[in-house]
Amino acid sequence: MNVLKVSRWTIAAFIMPCLIVYLGLVFVPILVSIYSGLMDWNGIGKATFIGFSNYAKMFTHDPVFWPAVRRTFTLAGFSMLVQVPVALLVAILITRFVRRPNFLVSSYFLPVILSVAIIGQLWKTIYNPAAMGGMINQILIKVGLESWTHSWLTEPKIAIYAIILVSLWQYLGYHILIQFTGIQNIPSEIYEAAKIDGASGFKADRYITLPMVLPILKISIVLSFIGSLQSFDLIMVMTAGGPAHATEVLASHMYNMSFITMEYGYGSAIANMLILICLIATVLINLLFTRLEKRYS
Amino acid sequence: MSQYASSAGSKPALKVRQRRFSLKTLIAFVFFGALLVTQLYPLLWLLIYSLKTNDEILSGSFFALPKVWQWGNYSDAVDSGNYIRYLGNSLFVTATTMFGVILLSSLAAFAITRFRWKYGQLIMLLFLLGMMIPMQGTLLPLMIIFKNMHILNTHLSLILPYMAFQMPIAVFILSGFLRTIPHEIEESAIMDGAGAFRIFRSVILPVSIPPMMTVCILTFINVWNEYILAATFISSERLKTLPFGVYSFVSQYSVNYGAIGAFLVLAALPVIVVYFLLAEKITKGMVAGAVKG
Amino acid sequence: MKKKPFKFFGMAMTGVLAISLSACGGGGAATTNNAAGGDTGTDSSGGKSGSTENITITFQNIYPDASDPKNQMMKKIVEQYEKEHTNVKIELDSLNTDQQKLKLKTQAASKEVPDITVVNPAAQMQPFVDEDLFAPLNDMVEENGLKDTFQKGILDYYTFDGNLYALPDGNNIGVVFYNKKLMEEGGVKVPTTFEEMVDAVKTLKGKGIQPMVIGEKDSWTGSFLFMNILLRTNGGPGFLQDVLDGKKTFEDQAYVDAVQAFENLVQAGAFQDGATSFDYNSGENLFKTGKAAMYYMGSWATGGIETAEVSKDDNVGVFKFPTVGGKGNADEFMLAPGSAFAISKNSKHLDETKDFLNYFMTNFPKEAFEAKGAVGIAQNVDGDFKAAGYSDMAMNVLDLFKEVKGGDLAFDNTMNPATTQVHLSGIQGLFVEQKDPAAVAKELQAAYEENK
Repeated sequence: MNVLKVSRWTIAAFIMPCLIVYLGLVFVPILVSIYSGLMDWNGIGKATFIGFSNYAKMFTHDPVFWPAVRRTFTLAGFSMLVQVPVALLVAILITRFVRRPNFLVSSYFLPVILSVAIIGQLWKTIYNPAAMGGMINQILIKVGLESWTHSWLTEPKIAIYAIILVSLWQYLGYHILIQFTGIQNIPSEIYEAAKIDGASGFKADRYITLPMVLPILKISIVLSFIGSLQSFDLIMVMTAGGPAHATEVLASHMYNMSFITMEYGYGSAIANMLILICLIATVLINLLFTRLEKRYS
Repeated sequence: MSQYASSAGSKPALKVRQRRFSLKTLIAFVFFGALLVTQLYPLLWLLIYSLKTNDEILSGSFFALPKVWQWGNYSDAVDSGNYIRYLGNSLFVTATTMFGVILLSSLAAFAITRFRWKYGQLIMLLFLLGMMIPMQGTLLPLMIIFKNMHILNTHLSLILPYMAFQMPIAVFILSGFLRTIPHEIEESAIMDGAGAFRIFRSVILPVSIPPMMTVCILTFINVWNEYILAATFISSERLKTLPFGVYSFVSQYSVNYGAIGAFLVLAALPVIVVYFLLAEKITKGMVAGAVKG
Repeated sequence: MKKKPFKFFGMAMTGVLAISLSACGGGGAATTNNAAGGDTGTDSSGGKSGSTENITITFQNIYPDASDPKNQMMKKIVEQYEKEHTNVKIELDSLNTDQQKLKLKTQAASKEVPDITVVNPAAQMQPFVDEDLFAPLNDMVEENGLKDTFQKGILDYYTFDGNLYALPDGNNIGVVFYNKKLMEEGGVKVPTTFEEMVDAVKTLKGKGIQPMVIGEKDSWTGSFLFMNILLRTNGGPGFLQDVLDGKKTFEDQAYVDAVQAFENLVQAGAFQDGATSFDYNSGENLFKTGKAAMYYMGSWATGGIETAEVSKDDNVGVFKFPTVGGKGNADEFMLAPGSAFAISKNSKHLDETKDFLNYFMTNFPKEAFEAKGAVGIAQNVDGDFKAAGYSDMAMNVLDLFKEVKGGDLAFDNTMNPATTQVHLSGIQGLFVEQKDPAAVAKELQAAYEENK
């Protein structure tokens, strides 16, 4: 129970500065965005109120929207079900085998701090056709697997997975860092107690680390979901959503609609949809983990 | 491992079990090494890239080294990229943002977690909602807000939104941490008759350094490379930040790739330095609060 | 005791919020009020205060790269002007093209257009003109004969209801550059029909020579080439205008034929692998480094190509885009009137800004000529190009200009953005997948009707 009983003014003094900046500059724009989502507006001229027509168009008429949703969820799925578990595994292994883990964990984090401009350029040269010096294709040809070569970023069925791989690679270190600090924070007494009961090594991980690290896993998964839904820069740098929308995701679709196609109202509606999906997913993830935590404790 | 022992509130984690040189260890280290190569390679690649000519960059083989090392790219980056001025602006904007985020978010996190009042949880939820909002979606409304505040084309028009967008994650991390601190530590201060602000300053602030460092680095990463807001709200040459320098080598029908590479190296340097300086603190503070100790 | 400063801060911030809230109340719809407020504010401060007051003019432009001749020209003229007008400071806001477009749109939404900005011709600047954001420049170009320095007809693309709103610095045409050595190695001649071009592509491909290159990540590049095919299959210019006038639809034979011809070219293997992931620059660079035999692009690329490796020993030639299926006239070109400078109607220093832009455009041709950047500018240039050291290739391009007998504008200069985007991604799609031309046309027609 919180102990400090203070006056309303004190509470306000503590909370208001932060809340006002946040509400004024993040929340108010979103209210505006909810409003513009009901408009037919090119972003410059007069806006006309059209009710929920933008949403109707989104669900029934826009050939790009649903595939973009599907791709966004594919990215989020890979991120939550592959990236986070791998990160957890690496974190456990590091805790187990490495005596001075700081350098390793920090280095794994490095791609996160480099700008997307660098990451995008690098991976484009990796994915390029062999004739243009592309690494993967050159290696495939060298080992005699010429039939496996692809134009990774331009074949509509493959391109999105090529981008997902980059995204997974870039943010792996982020999740390793989160999981690692989580494991670090598990009190060692618990392991010692378990050892007396005969649980050590991977058995200890299964019965102690996993349940104890659940709350962190939840943070990781929520962050990876939200991050996936907002991922945008990488796609713009690598394919700009092309060829023919084959790598379009929700965030890039929203940007293109708002500022390139000049349907700002419709772009706002997509943005609102994106936020709504995030909200629902976060609630669902929370529910799931509450159940898991109950079962384990 | 001993460096973790000092971490507030939590004990050292599971110890590295006795290290015999076994096959398992070997496999693990090969794995760590391979991962390390893939994660560090971009830096090396960027260094080489920054020393090539445009032709080498656009058509050369992936593994090729430059024929002649183009150190001129770096002088281009510094001279025509306005590196020094932009660096100064970036440092100012980033530092002010970090300071503002830390100060305001920790005050808010303190109020949410330590005060006895009804709406703490609600406020917390409000902040969490902010994490889901895509920055691009706020560009146009922000423009209108700043126009009416008469702060367009000032550093304030960057610092304010940067702060605002970092606050959700900052409040989240800081309040997660504060929840784990036992209430006893402020009880004695209350006995002494300390007010809320004194408790915050002399009891809470000192122990919150690790999560604050985490907030710092996350803020730094997100602010340092930000370009869309900066390009939209800043027009004066003397106020521009580092990402402008990167894009100053992109003209309509030509791009000076080598100079971009050099500029990216120069722009990434401070981040990497700051990051490795703070790295130790980060690994402690990231999610300090999430596991029940 | 210590609470006070925070309370004060909190209240100050509440005030800030109140201001921003009232500003946002109407969102987009209420922005006209802001413009009105801005007007009353500027009258008292700027305007007729004469030449003694120190003023700053913001000049938004798309020439950020110091190694770009246009950037150097711009800086030189600005410096001269500042020397002659010591009370005027020109603040250059140099951005790359994409960012400038985004910035201007955002600024336009809040009526904060900079003193001078950059817009694209015809349909692309229409929304800004509709919102009455730019100042008419009719008197400004008349007063000292600036108008007559521009090529005939070019200013029409920037004129709406008799008002001229922007002054272009470029005027280009679509041409095919070719690498003489590679064409010779491949044993192909300069094609005189589109069918010969497709055959040449096949022959070159068979000999392991990359026939053509394109930077199709920026999808306008493919569309620019496609539109030239359409200009032929339609037997002349005006297809898009006819669609707008309701005389034709995209499902007409001309458009379907153009898609078919374009697919023939792609399917013959004309373009490099992964073309849709190459941006404009990396695509063009393949040609510049001698890796491809032909390259279709606007004549603005001349300057970059003539200074590149591939142009050594006069190795690059140009030819007109050929006729398609016997239709069209090779003297009709894709016309690309360039980006142009417009002045904000709400500029605080409208007169001074006009004076500066007039000075800028008056000096532009001379500076461009000296910087060897005068191929494809929008103004007439007095001077002997040959004597000034322009390359043979540049001379060839200049000769093509003389043969221009009309043509069409790019798709996005004629159609609205929503239809344009469907067209662009439709064409981009042809690079990765063969499609029924009729279906491509039908999809575009549907999009056009929906976004009319």
